[in-house]
Amino acid sequence: MSLISNAFILFVVAAVCCYYLAPMKIRWVVLLAFSYVYYLAGGVRYLFFILYSTIVVYLFGLAIDHLQKKNASLKTQKRVITIGIVASFLMLGIVKYLGFFTDLLNTVFDTKIPGMTVLFPLGISFYTFQSVGYLLDVYWKKAEAEKNFFRFALFISFFPQLVQGPIGNYNRLAPQLITPHKFSSEAICRGLMRIIWGYAKKMIIADWAGVFVDAIWGDPDRYNGIVLFGLIFYGIQLYADFSGGIDVVIGIGNLFGIRMDENFRQPYLATSMADFWKRWHITLGEWMMNYVFYPITLSGWMTRFSGWSRKVFGKKTGRVVPIALADFIVFFLVGIWHGASWKYVVYGLVNGGIIAFSELMGNRYRSLRKTLHITGKETWFHIFQIVRTYIIVNLRWFYDRSDTVAEGNYLVKQAFSHFDCSQLFDIAAGRGGTAFVPTALLIITVGCIVMVAVGILKERGTDLYQKITALPVPLTVATYMILLLLIGTFGSTAVLKGFIYAQF
Amino acid sequence: MEELMEILEDISPDVDFENETALMDDKILSSFDVLSIVSELRANYGIRITPAEIIPDNFNSAEAIWNMICRLKEG
Repeated sequence: MSLISNAFILFVVAAVCCYYLAPMKIRWVVLLAFSYVYYLAGGVRYLFFILYSTIVVYLFGLAIDHLQKKNASLKTQKRVITIGIVASFLMLGIVKYLGFFTDLLNTVFDTKIPGMTVLFPLGISFYTFQSVGYLLDVYWKKAEAEKNFFRFALFISFFPQLVQGPIGNYNRLAPQLITPHKFSSEAICRGLMRIIWGYAKKMIIADWAGVFVDAIWGDPDRYNGIVLFGLIFYGIQLYADFSGGIDVVIGIGNLFGIRMDENFRQPYLATSMADFWKRWHITLGEWMMNYVFYPITLSGWMTRFSGWSRKVFGKKTGRVVPIALADFIVFFLVGIWHGASWKYVVYGLVNGGIIAFSELMGNRYRSLRKTLHITGKETWFHIFQIVRTYIIVNLRWFYDRSDTVAEGNYLVKQAFSHFDCSQLFDIAAGRGGTAFVPTALLIITVGCIVMVAVGILKERGTDLYQKITALPVPLTVATYMILLLLIGTFGSTAVLKGFIYAQF
Repeated sequence: MEELMEILEDISPDVDFENETALMDDKILSSFDVLSIVSELRANYGIRITPAEIIPDNFNSAEAIWNMICRLKEG
């Protein structure tokens, strides 16, 4: 059931009505029932995957809890958690990476093992990561093991987050799902505003930008003069698509009185690549930090490497080298999380390389700034940092959007060797054809200006929802109506697409 | 405690370790800063910090970090 469909809107309305009509004690059961109905609507065959994850992680959580209460040796606990993690990732590994490894074997050993296509269950990456996070939290005694299987099942399957996250933290999300929430018109209105804003970003900005991106990437030889435009449009599409979807998801959570973790914080205002990753897909970044980055850097072998590094490189650089190495590993994993393809391996390594390099150069960079009398608080310097990061981020999108590394390289070459803006007007803009291009460009431009203005206000700590509801009632209603009207007018004429991150 | 303050100020000279009480909660310390601190604590105090210790309660202030050091040294 697509997030952009009348069926989904009716489904949410039904879920909200049933939730608030149900007795307080069983409100969480309503959420669980609707979550499984949503999942089943995608296909009965997918049920096996989510049940597997739920049962495996639930049982391993109980097993670890039992071992800890019995004061079992750390070695035994470690063995159990390792098996639990491997079992949790097993299904994700099979559905996501089997084809990739078959290709790899065929290439390396010149074999002809037939490629296998395994169906990709809805949300498997997101709920697998979420469940492994829970398991490790129990192991580190940061969370209590959930004894009630059905409550745990709700934490894994809560329907708004199934399509594209955010990856929920057990301690923050699970208690909210179980606690019965009283009807609050404030929460409902806030949720509705967030949902409408999310749909506007997705249907007005992302999908229109996507029309140009698809045309340019679909025939790069024909559109070789506007590849740079295509790249900028892709950056806009990706952000408006993913963050718009997350706005819808978080808004739906609000309708039930649940505050899910934010996944974006104005990423294009980041001042460095490290800062960008704290603002883009925040819940994946936090997951990687808590469950990969810290365990790697604090592991026994890394501790020994750290000691060696201090001896060889001295105190300051020696301290940074192991952390930079861990960063590199984390981003390699982030890359292959996005997909089983060499382009994502390269994508991860490039990201890891940039961040590791900037950390290694940190001291020299600070000294240079001191020499140039730059305190770092100057407005011009802040803008310079934002623009620099924006350029680096966008250059990486070449490889994100292209099917192969070779295609990415080809497009980079085209982007900086040919310029011909008139090609923009040869693109058929949805059902409006080439005649609609100026209007489509105007929609994207105005949409982006509004999106940037909202971003800057949020960056300054303004609660836009409060600002809008503080207006006289007719103006508040008018704001809702205008957004809905714009979605109805411009969203309906675009070529509607599914959410990009649903494929991960 | 004085030695700890010197370590912290060496790692993040711009942070007010005397007064801040939400270093981790408010993301004043990055994961890079936290690990740099852990690395220095390991080298200076000979303590082993596991991922289970990386929680705001242990890193929200200089005092919290000091309490963690004392606890791990005793253990």
